[in-house]
Amino acid sequence: MKKLTGLVAASAVAALALTACSNGSASSAASSNSPADNSKKTITLWLAGGDTPDELRTYLKDTFKAKTGATLAIEEQSWGDLLTKLTTSLPDAENTPDVVELGNTQAPTFTNVGAFSDVSDMYEELGGSKLLPSFVEAGSVDGKRFALPYYFGSRYMFVRKDIWSSAGVATPKTLDEFNAAVSTIATKNPRSIKNFSGFFIGGQDWRNGISWIFANGGDLAKKQDGQWVSTLSDPNSLKGLAQLQAIYKTASKAPADAKDQSPWLYINDSDAITDDKGAVTGKTSLAAATIMAPGWAHWSIGDLKTVDGKATRVWNPKTFGTLVLPGNDGKPAPVFAGGSNIGISATSKNQDLSRELLRIIFSADYQKKLGGAGLGPANSDYVSSLGTDEFAAALVASASNSKLTPAAPGWAAVESAQLMEEFFGKIRDAADLSALATEYDAKITPLLNQK
Amino acid sequence: MTVSTAAGSKPVPAAAARHETPRRPSGNSGDVAESRRRSPRVPLLLLVPSVVILLAALGYPVAWQLVTSFRKFGLRQQFGQPPEWVGLENYKNLLTDPSLWAVVVRSVVFCVVVAFLTVAVGGLLALLMQRVTRAARIILQVSLLLAWAMPVVAAMTVWIWIVDWRRGLLNWVLVHLGFEAAEGHNWLAQPLSFFVVAGVIVVWMSVPFVALSVYAGLTQVSDEVLEAAQLDGASWWQRLRYVILPLIAPVISIVLLLQLIWDLRVFTQIKMLQDAGGVANETNLLGTFIYQLGTGKGDFGMSSAVSVVMLGLTVALSWHYVRSLMKEEAS
Amino acid sequence: MRARRLGTGMWSALAVVIALAWAFPVYWMLVSSLLPNVRLQSTTPTFFPTGGSVDNYREVITDSGFGRALSISLAVTLLAVAAAIAFAFLGALAVSRFRFRGRLSFVLALLLIQMLPAEGLFIAQYKMMSSVGQLNSVIGLSVLYAAAVIPFTIWMLRGFVAGVPIELEEAAMVDGLSRTQAFLRITFPLLAPGLVAAAVYAFLQAWNEFTVALVVMTEEQSRTLPLWLRGFVQASATRETDWGQVMAASALVAVPVIIFFMIVQGRMSSGLVGGAVKG
Repeated sequence: MKKLTGLVAASAVAALALTACSNGSASSAASSNSPADNSKKTITLWLAGGDTPDELRTYLKDTFKAKTGATLAIEEQSWGDLLTKLTTSLPDAENTPDVVELGNTQAPTFTNVGAFSDVSDMYEELGGSKLLPSFVEAGSVDGKRFALPYYFGSRYMFVRKDIWSSAGVATPKTLDEFNAAVSTIATKNPRSIKNFSGFFIGGQDWRNGISWIFANGGDLAKKQDGQWVSTLSDPNSLKGLAQLQAIYKTASKAPADAKDQSPWLYINDSDAITDDKGAVTGKTSLAAATIMAPGWAHWSIGDLKTVDGKATRVWNPKTFGTLVLPGNDGKPAPVFAGGSNIGISATSKNQDLSRELLRIIFSADYQKKLGGAGLGPANSDYVSSLGTDEFAAALVASASNSKLTPAAPGWAAVESAQLMEEFFGKIRDAADLSALATEYDAKITPLLNQK
Repeated sequence: MTVSTAAGSKPVPAAAARHETPRRPSGNSGDVAESRRRSPRVPLLLLVPSVVILLAALGYPVAWQLVTSFRKFGLRQQFGQPPEWVGLENYKNLLTDPSLWAVVVRSVVFCVVVAFLTVAVGGLLALLMQRVTRAARIILQVSLLLAWAMPVVAAMTVWIWIVDWRRGLLNWVLVHLGFEAAEGHNWLAQPLSFFVVAGVIVVWMSVPFVALSVYAGLTQVSDEVLEAAQLDGASWWQRLRYVILPLIAPVISIVLLLQLIWDLRVFTQIKMLQDAGGVANETNLLGTFIYQLGTGKGDFGMSSAVSVVMLGLTVALSWHYVRSLMKEEAS
Repeated sequence: MRARRLGTGMWSALAVVIALAWAFPVYWMLVSSLLPNVRLQSTTPTFFPTGGSVDNYREVITDSGFGRALSISLAVTLLAVAAAIAFAFLGALAVSRFRFRGRLSFVLALLLIQMLPAEGLFIAQYKMMSSVGQLNSVIGLSVLYAAAVIPFTIWMLRGFVAGVPIELEEAAMVDGLSRTQAFLRITFPLLAPGLVAAAVYAFLQAWNEFTVALVVMTEEQSRTLPLWLRGFVQASATRETDWGQVMAASALVAVPVIIFFMIVQGRMSSGLVGGAVKG
């Protein structure tokens, strides 16, 4: 009996000591909870789509286990349905994923309703001002940080060098030069292809089109006296829209309702066999000298070849080239950045372990791995890990000045109501751009501020 | 199949057989009918499993939806903020929203046209199935089944390819037939053309069920009656109109009602077509409208109200049938 | 007689032409599933998959949980169908063979339930399943699916049951059989085709259902086939969609349904007959 009491007392003291230790270490931000406590715990990370490669996932799981003793489970969610799943699962404390990746345009919506935990105290530790400012902004409310950047992508132009040179047009150094160049190419049409575009941009392709608004100093919306206001009809925005209208009318033969799907189809050559002289016989699928697409599109651009028994597109640097859209001020034009944010669910019961995961994700090792996989790391210090090929260079350059959609709580509603598509689709044939822009400002502004 | 052989060589009109049953005086049938009447608990017991499962699966969600339609319920409420009771405000906003009425009109017109077209085509195919050799009939039935079984995602992807303005099969065929103007024609750009494409797709997907059901109904129409009519000098059309149609009227009305209900709700096909082309807000039907309000905008109070309105609309559209069904049941 | 046969021949030819035209999209899906993605982007359609291969199928099957999704879908669907048929059958018996108070209201309720748009229910369904711990549960999802098809099935089956006159049973009982025996030996076999028809319809509904499965099956390993298929369509934000794989995956999802159909196809026609005319 005595021994037992002694044992009990000893264990009680030990337990208290351990708790004291782990409490202490949590605040020191250095080491985490002792592995022994956590061996039965599992936290869940939701990744969107297949963008994070398997080896990075394995790295996360292994490192997490080694560091905390707990298990990391990774669930991949499909991009198309992420919104629905986040809406149902995040508020549910019993079943919520602990850490979640979501698109940067979706981040403001969920941040504003309190779906994520406040990580302002970790901000400096995870990278502070070195983290992509526009993404941090998207995940912040009133200066508090909730969802931080995970990776960034960017978009730039892919050009047919052969067509550009046949048309005798030099590489443009400013936005104005670009606008003129693509018009010229469309008019000259060196190969006499029917409906040939100097620059193919779909009428409803607003994600690419907004670059012209941004490049002229305009914006989609801004915060005025605490309320978000749509600014399509601001003078700078209108300047950009006018340039876009000119492009729609002269340089692009894309339909007014075309969106931004599969733009590489228009600058690839047909897979029909050419005759022995190399001349193109019959119809070709080439329809544009220039397209604008996210960086990863380069995998789908090139000559059709058979590699390892599989038909693939192989990039041909003689025919194809990349071009970062230039601004008029010597810097790259601001383009719409792709990418994701990452946050800890506010209802998660594993806040501490989740924070550990964030530390691992924002560690130098992991950031470099992201770059190595072609995903722009959130921390600008490690951007060089993207590599040195022309795609990496274009990605970094175009992303340096990139912008996001407004971090307004109601922006997701604007997108789901397809108002941007509708507005941009009407630009080409609009007689009075200013009136059209004002009309849509009136539709968009009420949606921006969540009721 | 069943009744004809069991009740004797003469085909027993369906209605008569059914109506006879409940009216039998208990004396004639002895134990059986009496025991049925003595234990009203039996039918209720039989219903218990269904009722339990229906209540379990649908009770809470339906109640939730009804209650939510009277509240302000957005994404904030989903994440914890208490929802505010606003009574009929959602309905008021909804019914005074001009875009809703455009959507309702479009949905009703689309649904009625497509449903009737489906039943007509299905009916014709069923008639065709009766006149062909067994091999041809099986081939036709199998191909209809294949169309019915194909996952919607795959089917829509193929159809969107077919009508694609640039790489589509439709334009390719038309151009090869000599219609040069079809090159690069965008079938989804204009709402009317968009809905014709959508209609063709929905009919293509719905006809199999109708055709097979109506064919089954047709096989029940006895040959003797038809031969008698033929001997009396009735033409094919007259036979169809005065003999066949009345006998298969119940089948036709069931499948028509189902098509009306389902076509009013059509969502996936429209959404995928919208992603491929056209202007979304000019081509919204009720299904995509609810989705935009709900998942898209996070306004679940509003989308619940729309769902309730849609229920009302469906009942209104099918009122005639519902009433006749109730009358039939009560007799 | 001769004219008749010619007519039949002509109609048969027409039927075959219509059949081929109707199944064309299915053919297109199969052709596409045998081609690599780059070939599918051509402006010239490929009618015959020369040079095609089963690469897409291989990648799809070995890659991402196809086997698991298949078994989950099979389990959920078969459970749902079994439960639905059993319960709906009893319900149909009650509604067409008996008269009781509330019968009319019940039938009306069945009709109204079918008219409810299901799109707005998923939020409440998630909350409900979560609160009873039935997320990611095969049983849980089966219950939801069974409930979804029961109203239509009762409605369909009551026509069949009513179509078998009570006299048959009574005659058998006069001959000495008990009520249950009469039912099992006489009535039930006559109902079998109807049950089969209802089962096929219920199978199809459960097999292809997507929205409810999406919110209720949150883990990757409890995905049903439609969710698994969806994963191919928008697989990545940084890679192009491989449509050849999407088509291969779709073909795989369709195969079990088609097998099921082929087996019961003959029964189905006669099944739909009996109930339909009477209903």
